[in-house]
Amino acid sequence: MEIIDRLSAGDPEKKKYYIRLFLDTLEPEMENLKVADVTQHQEPIRAILHKLKSQVQTIGARGTHAIMAQHEQTIKDGGQIDQGQLDETCRQLSDLIENLQELLK
Amino acid sequence: MSKHLKVALVDDDIPNTEVLRDFLIRNGYSHVDKYHDGESFLESLDRFDERAVVLDFDLSGGGELNGLEVLEAVKERSPSTHVIFFSGQDSLEVAVESLKNGADDYIVKSNAAFALVKTSLDKVYDIQILKLNERRSQRISWIMAIGWMATIAGVALYFAGR
Repeated sequence: MEIIDRLSAGDPEKKKYYIRLFLDTLEPEMENLKVADVTQHQEPIRAILHKLKSQVQTIGARGTHAIMAQHEQTIKDGGQIDQGQLDETCRQLSDLIENLQELLK
Repeated sequence: MSKHLKVALVDDDIPNTEVLRDFLIRNGYSHVDKYHDGESFLESLDRFDERAVVLDFDLSGGGELNGLEVLEAVKERSPSTHVIFFSGQDSLEVAVESLKNGADDYIVKSNAAFALVKTSLDKVYDIQILKLNERRSQRISWIMAIGWMATIAGVALYFAGR
């Protein structure tokens, strides 16, 4: 949140505006990840991970970013991630979204 | 200090583009346009475009073109436009390919990435200022040369008339 904190410079409404911007992408894309089928071609999963990775990084969730980057690379290198790995990523994303929603209250 | 360099951000990542735009405005770049796909950016490009472009590689969430294809089109239509690649692809191959195709810089999206984009834009801004000063001094040299020639011609005419 460092960059968002710096840009909003103590203006709570500005900070909420940025958080909403990120939530607008994170929430629907997490739903897409939840219903993704790991037994099929995983390119759509890679594309979602790639898209969310940068946003998660800007928010400052380094652990979640590292996991997403690792899974994206695995798929890009021709490998596959399993259902457990996808579920864990979704769980971390869900926690992040909850934290962001808390900040809006 | 406000920098008179126009910037175009081309990235399908809407929230990050918005945050980067605000970051650059806060750091003196008062004119920053946003485009979420390569096609709409290319429509806005003209031959004498003086903007610096911060271009994402993977634009699949926007249109059909990827960053390299947009770079190719930019260099074809407006060769002097500066292009800074800003990509989530931490890949040496993509970086080399983009630099070979005329990109000025390649920045991997990371925690420090926004500051690196600003540093890269600062360099483009400095280059533009240098070019502007060079054009100015060339113009002054021409004016002085014409002045000298006119003086010499005047003196020659004066003596020819005596």
